[in-house]
Amino acid sequence: MKIPNGIRDLCENPTAILNQYRDSGVKIIGYTCSYVPEELIISAGLQPYRVTNIGANTSALTPSFVCPFASATLENILKHEDFFSGFIVAHTCDPMWRLYDILKKKLSKPLFLLRVPHNTDNELSLDFFRMELVRLEEFLENNFEAKIDHNTLFSSIELCNENRALLKSIYVLNTGGKYKINAFDRFHLALASMWMPKSEINTQIKSLNFDNGETRGDVRLHLNGTTVYDLVLIKTIEESGGFVASDDLCTGSRYFWSNVEESQDPISALARRYLKRTPCPSHDPLEQRLEYVNFMIEEFKVQGAITFAERFCDPILYDSVHIRNMLAKKDIPTMVIDYENPSQEIGRIKTRVEAFIESISG
Amino acid sequence: MSLQRKKSSVLQTTRKIGELIMTYFSKASDAKAQGKPVAWITVFTPVELLYALDVYPIAPEHFGAMCSARGFILDYLQEAEKEGYSQNLCSYSRCSLGYVLSGTSGLMPPPDILMTFRNSCDVYVKWWQSLHMHLGTPLFVGETPYVLTSEDLNNYVLDYVVKQLEQLVEMIEEKFGLRLDMEKLADIVRLSDKASELWLETLKLRSHRPCPLGGRDSASDIFPLVVMQGTNEAVKFYEELLEEVKEKVSMGEGIVENERFRLLFDGIWLWHAFDLIKYFENKGAVFVYEPYSDAWAYRLDASKPLESIARKILAMGLNVDIDLRTERFLESIKEFQIDGAVLFSNRSCKTWSAPQLVTADILSKEFNVPYLLFEADMADPRQYAEAQIKNRIDAFLEVLSER
Repeated sequence: MKIPNGIRDLCENPTAILNQYRDSGVKIIGYTCSYVPEELIISAGLQPYRVTNIGANTSALTPSFVCPFASATLENILKHEDFFSGFIVAHTCDPMWRLYDILKKKLSKPLFLLRVPHNTDNELSLDFFRMELVRLEEFLENNFEAKIDHNTLFSSIELCNENRALLKSIYVLNTGGKYKINAFDRFHLALASMWMPKSEINTQIKSLNFDNGETRGDVRLHLNGTTVYDLVLIKTIEESGGFVASDDLCTGSRYFWSNVEESQDPISALARRYLKRTPCPSHDPLEQRLEYVNFMIEEFKVQGAITFAERFCDPILYDSVHIRNMLAKKDIPTMVIDYENPSQEIGRIKTRVEAFIESISG
Repeated sequence: MSLQRKKSSVLQTTRKIGELIMTYFSKASDAKAQGKPVAWITVFTPVELLYALDVYPIAPEHFGAMCSARGFILDYLQEAEKEGYSQNLCSYSRCSLGYVLSGTSGLMPPPDILMTFRNSCDVYVKWWQSLHMHLGTPLFVGETPYVLTSEDLNNYVLDYVVKQLEQLVEMIEEKFGLRLDMEKLADIVRLSDKASELWLETLKLRSHRPCPLGGRDSASDIFPLVVMQGTNEAVKFYEELLEEVKEKVSMGEGIVENERFRLLFDGIWLWHAFDLIKYFENKGAVFVYEPYSDAWAYRLDASKPLESIARKILAMGLNVDIDLRTERFLESIKEFQIDGAVLFSNRSCKTWSAPQLVTADILSKEFNVPYLLFEADMADPRQYAEAQIKNRIDAFLEVLSER
């Protein structure tokens, strides 16, 4: 199986696709987090594009001790503002919340804050989140001359469901200790799904052929964290004798693990899917997240877990203690690696990854 | 009132705070001994409801501030760090996690319930989850969505918070076999409102020249408003304080001799370096306004207690839109005739610090208010470079004196 070069190039330089969109008259909405339902943006006839830290340094507008990912994302938004018709920021974690504040003072394009309740297992939160999605629908309709109706919503949900199902079908090829697709390639497909038109990426994924599963001696690892966009991290693990068998990342399985239910009330179905998905580290209950990590570790026969932590990422830094304590009971070793810019710190990261893998493989 | 003052001083009423704090903590142990439930809360939670239910509220944030101010926080911080909690995490949280990890014995009796509303930060959620993981105590996490416009204090956002308060009451009633007495709640809400009214009136008097109440006073005197809202003791304290401040105004007496500069302080105070305020005061610079002092003062309507409380925990502190926050900032510049702003970039409070450079820019460009921004930590003394910061303060005051 070979990932098309176009997808490789896109993941190295995701902003390049913005030129193509602009040349073909596509209106783009930048969004920051996997709690934003792409379905609503697509059904308004707009192209969702997940803004990341790739290609940017941290912004001079934020203090040095604030999440470098959020800070570099801010920099990217301001640098590429002209390409976009508007932006949606989700209040999921503190830095993203404050990113909205700063953008409100710095941007001239329409900006929306989607308030995602942190207590996700409360039915009241579901009602509230539904109201937020209605407000988002109105924002899209009022600012971009769009009309969102049941038909456009149904078809965008179908498209996104297909994409998630395809990504998941590839992911589960590796259950039970098999090895059909390396994680480096797998992450490319998930990331490309956040930048390319869904129909196009779906077609490309469907055209891929997977070889018969082989069993390799690599150490099977679980990755936990928030997001990994700089795939040098995955490559480093796989070049060091490790294999990322599973993850709980918003650029990995959390992005596509569950689908939107078919329903006569699509907004409610969207609210349910996005609020009830595996909680990201900034949300409650923690037990649900731990349960998911546990499930992944069993399902993919994991031997060790690495936490990739953006430096100063509070949710991950708290959770890493509880994940370590939980996995210690199962004799699964864990390691936390923090960083600001993975590519610039890869030497140090590689040394630690190699030592960790060696300690497991003996 | 003694006129034999040093260059700067604190109010007589402020001197009573230490005793009030110790009484408050000893009452927590008394409550525990009597079999009453104790709640560990974050500081923007509905304490009025808890008092009405006869649940005793303790704020580990206070505990952190107190440990830092009295110089015994390091042991707790290190205990948490030993467990794997990063030094980049909130120092208040590391303090109480260290307290729990070292046996939960001391001023804070172990909690029977853990309760938080995510209004200041999602650190609250993570910190309370962590306490829950270590202690196994039941946890209530409430959501208070970011207030984007004042309409949110009357629409579905308010409804959502009111309903969560009802859930909380139900949970406490079920768990501890208690009943909420609505009349008692109304009385408590009335007392809480009175304390806020008195405090707000007192703060307004800081617009006088010379300023009758300084940073050391406001930083200390806020305590009853945070965890003793709805008690007679809090009302009594603020009555005394108002009386003393009024007297100072009538005598034309300021908190510093020869007031030269009137300053705004943005941030949480540095508890381990509390004398830094005195350093300013000794140079004739007095703090006349802090968003921190405003944060807990909110007028309540006893005829609609749950709705009022919901509005209060929604509109508190850092949970209102940046435009609304900046507006208040800018009003204060006129109201208190502010010459300069001191912005504390606090490593522990990222939600406070993250947009500070943007607000500083507005202050300086649109309102011609010079500012000093320095980085440290509110409770962890290891993150504080005293000499460097004092140098910068000197330079800043020099700039002000040349204007």
